[in-house]
Amino acid sequence: MEHTGKINSEELRIQGLLDRYLNRQAAANSLSAQENHLDEDSLTAFVEGNLSERESKPIVSHLVDCSFCRHVTTELVRLDLAFADTPAKVAVAEKQPSKVSEVLSGILSRIFGTSDEAVFAHQEEEKVEKKEIEKDQKE
Amino acid sequence: MVTEATQQSELPKECESVMEEIFNRCAENAPNFGVRLDCFKESLQKTARKYLLNSPENVSTRELTDFLRQIQADDLFLALACSNGNERAWWEFDQNHRSYLERVARHLASTDIDAQEVVDTVYVELYGTRVVDGERVSKFSTYSGRGSLRGWLRTVIWHSLVDLHRASHDEVSLDEMTENVGEGFAHASFAETSLGGEDEMIEKIAKQRYKKATVSAIETAFANLDAHEKLLLLYYHVESMKLREIARMVESQNSPLRDWFQRKSPTREKNPESRIHESTIMRWLEKSYAKVLQLFRTELRAKHELREDEIEICMELATQDLASRNLYQNLTTT
Repeated sequence: MEHTGKINSEELRIQGLLDRYLNRQAAANSLSAQENHLDEDSLTAFVEGNLSERESKPIVSHLVDCSFCRHVTTELVRLDLAFADTPAKVAVAEKQPSKVSEVLSGILSRIFGTSDEAVFAHQEEEKVEKKEIEKDQKE
Repeated sequence: MVTEATQQSELPKECESVMEEIFNRCAENAPNFGVRLDCFKESLQKTARKYLLNSPENVSTRELTDFLRQIQADDLFLALACSNGNERAWWEFDQNHRSYLERVARHLASTDIDAQEVVDTVYVELYGTRVVDGERVSKFSTYSGRGSLRGWLRTVIWHSLVDLHRASHDEVSLDEMTENVGEGFAHASFAETSLGGEDEMIEKIAKQRYKKATVSAIETAFANLDAHEKLLLLYYHVESMKLREIARMVESQNSPLRDWFQRKSPTREKNPESRIHESTIMRWLEKSYAKVLQLFRTELRAKHELREDEIEICMELATQDLASRNLYQNLTTT
């Protein structure tokens, strides 16, 4: 079927039938959704086109059957397009690296509404040690 | 050739030297990350073994070393360093990726508060608060370098947002959940609307004697397509992807869909590296429709023993209330 710029009526008919058939199937399949979904690694590699033919076969088959993962890949492509012009930020070297624990402390406080002491117990030990050292020095 | 025994145990020696070569390059680029060679190799070996397990046929050593060279090694190096809790690596990660993560989250989430919550959750997950066998499990340890780190983070953010949505809406169906996240929201009514139209159409067709044959034939026609053709049609018709979006998805020369459709095309050899335009996607769709049509007709003729005039009745039935989107119209709007 060559593309002539005109709408072939048979093609249009089969498009319409296929459209309704696929959407009906998708609606029915969503009720019995698969439980085993693709991991983030596979989804990303598929969307970025980083898979070999060997790797892609089972992934393509999964995407045909799994509306959830297919929807994720669709959204990832849309995100990719939306952020296509975002330049990669280059690290500024003059700043002193902040401690990972400090960054996470703030986050944990926001999430749990408490201090991070319970999670980063090692910090507590450090604080106690520091206080003891200071005390010794004063003495 | 890599034998079955090798797939379970050690990789060929050539792979070892390639892994060391990649490691040396990464360590030179980021000497402060503190990633050990054995840790780096372990990650690559795990990925290579997964690759071998997914390969029913034997894989040559050359193919395997090529595979290793395609890994996003610097991204993997950073991820491993972060997974190990290296301060310098975390600082670089924070500098290079935080603002991007925040932008993605803001783009997907309905409010700024949701977006911040997602970024925070992802950070905690990346660092890892769960301890297994005395070791902290970082989400970074699941990154293998098959895709870019930034792309992987985008996927992690998306999943995290879905989880948050799920947690706050106990009885939400899978479709409803995904449709309320990101652009999918805009298409939420598509399937439902079609379903109503479909029910109506089915009711009309049910009155006709050719209904059963028509439905059965389209089902068989679709089932007989290659998985790549099915996926393309599903993206277009079910996910409502625009031609531009599909073109973006197949931009990489190694894209599975691109590779499959181009292998079927006689023009591939002439210009294998050409950019994929929306018109190309349209041609791929046209080819798939043509195949469906051919299979549909064959099925009606062979299995249901219908004559040409009867097939025409089925075609008419199939297209009653034809309000579906037009391929060409979609092309002009992109």
